[in-house]
Amino acid sequence: MKLPVIVERGTTPYRAILAAVVAAGVLAALWGSGLEPFEQGQVTRFMIYAVAIAGLNVATGYVGLLSVGHSAFLGMGAFTTGILVVHQGWEPWATIPAAFGVCLVAGLLVGLPALRIKGLYLAMVTLAFAVAFPELVARFDGLTGGSSGMNIPRLSMRPPEWSGFTLGEKDQWLYWLGVVVLALTLYVTHCLTRSRYGLAMAAVRENEIAASSSGINIAVVKTLMFGLSGGITGAAGALFAIYMGTLFAEGSFTLMAGITLLIGLVIGGERTIFGPIIGAACVVYIPYYTSSIGQGQGSAVLFAVILLLVIFLAPSGIAGALGSLVNRFVVVRAARPRTAPPSRTGPAVSSAEPERGPVLAP
Amino acid sequence: MDIFLSRLFAGTTSGAVYVLIALCLVMVFRSSSTINFAQGEFALFTSYVTWWLAGKGVNIWLAVVPAILIGFLMGALAERWLVRPVRKRDETAVLIVGLALFTGLNGLSGWIWGSDEKPFPRMLPTGEDTYIDIAGARLHYDTILIVAIMAAVVAGLTLFFNKTSIGLQMRAVATNPDSAALCGVRVGRVLTLSWGMSAAVGALAGPLLVPLVPPGQLGLSSMFPVLIFATAAALLGGLDSIKGAVVGGLALGIGLAMVNGYVTFLGGSMSLTSALVVIVAVLLVKPTGLFGARRLERV
Amino acid sequence: MSAVLEARDLVAGYGGLTVLREVSVSVDPSEVVVVLGANGAGKSTLLSALSGQLPLTGGQLLVDGTPVRNARPDVMLAKGVSLVPQGRGTLTGLSVMDNLRLGAVTRKDKAEVGTDIDRWFTVFPRLAERRDQVAGTLSGGEQQMLAVARAMMSRPRLLLCDEISLGLAPVVVQELFVTLAEVNRELGTALLLVEQNAELALEIASRVYLLEVGEVGASGSAESFRDDNSIRAAYLGY
Repeated sequence: MKLPVIVERGTTPYRAILAAVVAAGVLAALWGSGLEPFEQGQVTRFMIYAVAIAGLNVATGYVGLLSVGHSAFLGMGAFTTGILVVHQGWEPWATIPAAFGVCLVAGLLVGLPALRIKGLYLAMVTLAFAVAFPELVARFDGLTGGSSGMNIPRLSMRPPEWSGFTLGEKDQWLYWLGVVVLALTLYVTHCLTRSRYGLAMAAVRENEIAASSSGINIAVVKTLMFGLSGGITGAAGALFAIYMGTLFAEGSFTLMAGITLLIGLVIGGERTIFGPIIGAACVVYIPYYTSSIGQGQGSAVLFAVILLLVIFLAPSGIAGALGSLVNRFVVVRAARPRTAPPSRTGPAVSSAEPERGPVLAP
Repeated sequence: MDIFLSRLFAGTTSGAVYVLIALCLVMVFRSSSTINFAQGEFALFTSYVTWWLAGKGVNIWLAVVPAILIGFLMGALAERWLVRPVRKRDETAVLIVGLALFTGLNGLSGWIWGSDEKPFPRMLPTGEDTYIDIAGARLHYDTILIVAIMAAVVAGLTLFFNKTSIGLQMRAVATNPDSAALCGVRVGRVLTLSWGMSAAVGALAGPLLVPLVPPGQLGLSSMFPVLIFATAAALLGGLDSIKGAVVGGLALGIGLAMVNGYVTFLGGSMSLTSALVVIVAVLLVKPTGLFGARRLERV
Repeated sequence: MSAVLEARDLVAGYGGLTVLREVSVSVDPSEVVVVLGANGAGKSTLLSALSGQLPLTGGQLLVDGTPVRNARPDVMLAKGVSLVPQGRGTLTGLSVMDNLRLGAVTRKDKAEVGTDIDRWFTVFPRLAERRDQVAGTLSGGEQQMLAVARAMMSRPRLLLCDEISLGLAPVVVQELFVTLAEVNRELGTALLLVEQNAELALEIASRVYLLEVGEVGASGSAESFRDDNSIRAAYLGY
């Protein structure tokens, strides 16, 4: 058989691959549900980070808006959940859409300067945003608990009755919540990037002038995508709040957290669906397994080394490198137009013209 | 009056700190048109070196010297081996290298010296009578020292850029690297040297500023706020202007001291948010800053 | 006597695009050579390659008969080859003085740099008047004078000039060419001129290369080119 095998979208082999990927995902989720509580907690944490990094991927990966400050969206989502649960008595799971909404709006606002500020300067702005976030939390200490932190009482974390989980099975419930949110995030980003909108995002990233001259509204793409990006990371923040139970802006949502998200994205692979998953696995498990090295700082140094390796050897990240490896054997591409071969699209269009003629000249 | 003067002195002190780190950013930007995100962490690492040497009984003034040398080497090597190979690729790659340096140096500092906060020895003794009384406000010796050192660094750099051949070459590279190369300037060397000098100035600034920036101790996050303030200062003055760094730094330091002192709504602790506002405002309204000449964005 | 600069079978280009295909040219000491050719023939690319600005993908550069390895602008300058680039040949952000000083960066005899600056101020008195002015504020003609003076500050044995007359008033161009001829006569500096203004260039040149889409189409004495009607009609357009 000649390699690589070419698989066209919409054909049976393509559906088979899709089905296999989905099945693998379902199996992995089922496997995770049977884990010991501690290990399952780690998996939950991993999924939260995967959602957060997938959010970052929308702005930084697909549209090319560098953000070091997504920790602030993570924090904003977390405090939205905290405040709604503690002060308003909401059910925790119901705050996830609310956190998404709040961070969507915040993302739209932060995205506005991105219309004029580009590249490193935008990164600088988001960096300042990340550093300033704990200060803002401290300023509104009446709502957030300020520097002493915010505690979400365990009792208010009871899973809803319809879910069938009891208070003691809170972690299982959160695990499945994570699975659903992650699956939803991956599905939405997948569809988004495959759509015409994905094309617009790529155009804005590669060449703004060309994009705007082909009729793409750069302002809308940038602002909207930054909003969506913030929203998704905010939803991850909501899960994070439920997971942690206690929120410390100084501890969880500092600049370092923002950098960690970006590191995860770059290592995993920008502009890929699996990049955020691989990246999240790295940022959750590497510090865990290296915690005994270098007074707990071993992982930071290791991340620096991996980052440099990635940037020099595999600029598209681990997922990108794996992707090109797989592409040696299997290539998935868009289905060829069935009506006419590509070289004859010209005549095909012109032959359609006369049919429209009578409409114009009745 | 005395409260105003106190705030003025406090503002000048932190302003001088911002000026020093802003100068580092300016030196890098002038030569290589990029922001070194790890600038603060360079200074962090060398501050730990100074702290460690001082702990071994070395006089703190002497301990700064090896730190400056290490700083120079770090900056130069980072430019030569890490930044330059990816410069031609794109801005994201430069940013990622900057972040790698950021995490790496931060982690390395913690790895070697631990992540607990270190009480930092002062370069000048502080006590009950280490100040000059001006109309009831205390002008501490630290303030005088850091302003004096800032002035010396600015004067030294100005002389260096205007009177020496290598300074001339740096200015040439800042204006147009291609033309400079045609004059026989070895652009690569100039870039390496700029990064080295920039990190060396940071290494000098670190031990001066650590005791002055809350909480007055050396910790792994000591330089985050400093980097933000210095960036705001450098942007305000214009990223390619030494004069801009001085004016921007002092204006920001004094301005924030006054705002935090007099605008009570902010609760006295919104400095970083104010710096963020300054950064965004400058980038939106006048991206070249007050004294800068170059447009920041490349179309 | 070997050539100051000889290029053997140069191949160079930008990215995937090859502009020069095995171009060979040479300039003898104190000689004035002009390269003519249509737009896009690769004239500027040739000068970029000769000055060490553009890396070669093939061929060789020889100075005084010795091959140059690792041709970079500073290396070529040190060997006595200096370029007046097309358009803005000055550092517009620096003062006239600084531009001239910068031209002497590769020189070892720092003491004599001052003397040379004074000499160029006598050659171009208008530069002397504007010595502390930022180069970007000079007129086009003055900038071109500064570019020549700056390139000469390294005391080159060969001066490469890329379209020195471009965009300048005829009077100024005339003046510049007179100066170039003097430089060649009095200092013995060889010149390699790339010119649109063929008539003027042929007046001071002794030899001509015709560049045609990346290859040397013809070469010969300037005299024969001036007299040959068919070449004039085909390449020089008058």
